[in-house]
Amino acid sequence: MPIDLNHNLHQVQLKNGLRVMLKEIHTAPVTSTWIWYGIGSRNELPGKTGLSHWVEHMQFKGTKKFSGDEIDNLVSRVGGYSNAFTSTDWTTYFETMPSAHLHATLELESDRMANSLFVPEEVETERTVIISERDGSENYPEFRLDEAVQQHAFQSHPYRNEVLGAKEDLLSITRDDLFQHYRNFYQPANAILCVAGDISPEAVLQEVEGLFDEIPSIPVTPNVPAPEKQLVPGDQIELEGPGEAHYLEVAWRCPAASDPDFFAYSIIESLLSGPSSLNMFGSGGINNRTSRLYQALVEEDYAASVFGDLSAYIDPGVYKVFATIRPDGDPWVALKVLDDQIRRITAQELSQKEIERAIKQASALFAYGSDNITNQGFWMGYASTFADYQWVVEYLERLSAVTPSQVLNTARKYLRDDQRVVGVYRATQTQVES
Amino acid sequence: MNHSLPDSKTILRETWSNGTTLLAYPNLTSPAVYFTGYMQPGAIADPGDNYGLASFTTDMLMTGTKRLNFQRLHDKIESIGASLSLGTGHLSTTFFGQCLREDLETIWSLLVEVVQEPAFAEKQFKRVRNQILTGIAIQNQDTAEMASQAFSRALYGSHPYAHPDIGYAQTVAGIQKEQLESFHETHYGPNGLVLAVCGGIEPEMARDIFSRTIGSWQSDRQGLPTELPPFTPPTSSIRSHVPLEGKNQSDLVIGVPAPKTVSRDYQVCSIGNSILGKYGMMGRVGKAVREKAGLAYEVSSHLGAGIGPTAWTIVAGVNPENLEKALTLLKQELARFRGELVTEQELQDVKTQALGRLPLSIETNAGIASILVSIERYGYGLDHLRQLPAIIESVTAEEILLAAQRYWDLDKLVITSAGKALT
Repeated sequence: MPIDLNHNLHQVQLKNGLRVMLKEIHTAPVTSTWIWYGIGSRNELPGKTGLSHWVEHMQFKGTKKFSGDEIDNLVSRVGGYSNAFTSTDWTTYFETMPSAHLHATLELESDRMANSLFVPEEVETERTVIISERDGSENYPEFRLDEAVQQHAFQSHPYRNEVLGAKEDLLSITRDDLFQHYRNFYQPANAILCVAGDISPEAVLQEVEGLFDEIPSIPVTPNVPAPEKQLVPGDQIELEGPGEAHYLEVAWRCPAASDPDFFAYSIIESLLSGPSSLNMFGSGGINNRTSRLYQALVEEDYAASVFGDLSAYIDPGVYKVFATIRPDGDPWVALKVLDDQIRRITAQELSQKEIERAIKQASALFAYGSDNITNQGFWMGYASTFADYQWVVEYLERLSAVTPSQVLNTARKYLRDDQRVVGVYRATQTQVES
Repeated sequence: MNHSLPDSKTILRETWSNGTTLLAYPNLTSPAVYFTGYMQPGAIADPGDNYGLASFTTDMLMTGTKRLNFQRLHDKIESIGASLSLGTGHLSTTFFGQCLREDLETIWSLLVEVVQEPAFAEKQFKRVRNQILTGIAIQNQDTAEMASQAFSRALYGSHPYAHPDIGYAQTVAGIQKEQLESFHETHYGPNGLVLAVCGGIEPEMARDIFSRTIGSWQSDRQGLPTELPPFTPPTSSIRSHVPLEGKNQSDLVIGVPAPKTVSRDYQVCSIGNSILGKYGMMGRVGKAVREKAGLAYEVSSHLGAGIGPTAWTIVAGVNPENLEKALTLLKQELARFRGELVTEQELQDVKTQALGRLPLSIETNAGIASILVSIERYGYGLDHLRQLPAIIESVTAEEILLAAQRYWDLDKLVITSAGKALT
């Protein structure tokens, strides 16, 4: 039962530039509507970090047509669920609903593309909510370490900034900053509307045209950051703080998702730290207990856990490996063990069998994500933010085309000792009061 | 999959002579198959003060069998892109996994093998113990987890649910390998196992595979399930705080004992709970604490479900300086909840939400399998999803008010928090 991702897919572009993707799936009486804007923390300027994420929060506060309560009710009342996410490269909103209520979500997305209010009092309330969101994240040593590593991995590129924004920026950003950011980037020509599920494409397209066609589009000129320079050789960070476990994080440069190297890198990731899933929704992933780093670090008791993260970005990003080290362990010793594994993968070619195994894992992860309409809606827009939908469609094929020598060359190109950032969080507290 | 709800006509349910039960429902649109279920034992079987023994034993199951060492076991699973996990809850050991349809027999055979013939290798014992201890150490620095554990201690008192299933550092550190082997010998087996499967496999084919694997699993050592002791709720209000250094946010739990999961009260409170802290942007408490006061990013209410005592709680993550302010607002909302009828509009909104949620709950294989497990665990019957709309529709505002007054006794609130020391 191969999964044909192009099956029942319809794509059009409205005259104002809005791209529309519709996919018929009749497995459940459900539709999932996603709207993606090409704006994220990647496009933010120093002193104004966190704007994109804060705008996302304000999009639930009310428009000319819908009050905040009505936005809330529109989805909840019919049993739907909705959410929004801000990333480095994009901001997206989705609603998964019983299919009879699709029109309401299209109406909402059309209205908040152009008519959100940004009431000053609500901007202020949301300021403390977002600072609270950041405070909650800062409770975790892993967050603090990752933020520090990210800042070292990118000297000037905005990927160095936390999507939530720096606290000093969150304290100084004004209502006008937010509204201007919204007007600048929430434009039809900077958006992709995706609807997956129990739909008739012709009828939905007619509705979309009726609701979106008349929204004028002004040209969008986001800040496009210059490519980041190479990592600083030997860059190391050591943080200390409360906690009862130590953490090790190592970051190497990875290629942009549209770079052909990305697929060989995915095979490397699968082998080293286990496969990453492209599913945002769905039935979980695959364990990484046979990955080389798990075997070397966890099985040999240098770490309690290890995982990796290779994400698809517009610009070159970082591949990260995180290890949790038990209180009596030493992160620097764990780093040496990790280094041995990196040397191994850069020393000789993988076998074809190892590559085939990575492909089988990727195929299974695709199958797990395909039973979920919300996830299918996600795939359509997600890939379009950094490449196009064909990137997802051809993903398995392109993985299958990777050769052992490509994997070796890619490992040698990116996983270099002098091209990485090493971060260690050392726990200083070992007792708990109660 | 068709658009109708799973029911007695479409769900295959069969029991086997070894005490196992299968529930299967097809979704033939993709080759992916998801399964989940439960079996004996749970953490309540921990003997004496050996908190964490059941959980530790379960964690050992996936470290190798008498025939397959760790590497070979996980290689069998991961090389086909499958997964298989087990974990221990209060009452039972739960498991779940996913695979492609052609690999289902392999994975179910492995499920039997890991539970029936674990190796309990010395090296794995030490490694798993270290992993558990590290996990506990991390939990001990997590404000949400510490507030939650303090809540369970305060609410459940001498009942076994007062203790975390994973145990405590002191108890886990003292567990010997022989205790795990002995515990395994007498508690794990097929009797009482329930498995629900949904995905790209016809139910009859799933039944045949089940019959050859789990259905034919025999064990003559498995003892009877541990009986759940009675629960005595607190007789007065309790307030406790766990101080943790270096935290920018404190977490707060307020709660009371919840109604029995299989009861009319539970259905009524479930609708009431949506109004209190779930509907939309977290119901009334979300509106008061997040939307109006801007005090928290996370605030919501939860009605626990399970066999034995459970809790009805409100949780929030707030700046330490705003802890008391948030608490005051939440108590005001509770006073309102038990002081006046919910509005007709609120009631209508959450009812239509609950009814609309039904088709969404069957959007995924995992969602359906989870419903099938609940149907079996609580004895709802295979037509539960068909009966649910009438139950939801029948709940009245008066019933919600009476239930709120019955359960949210403001003089017996259990309130716990964790974070910066209180001044």
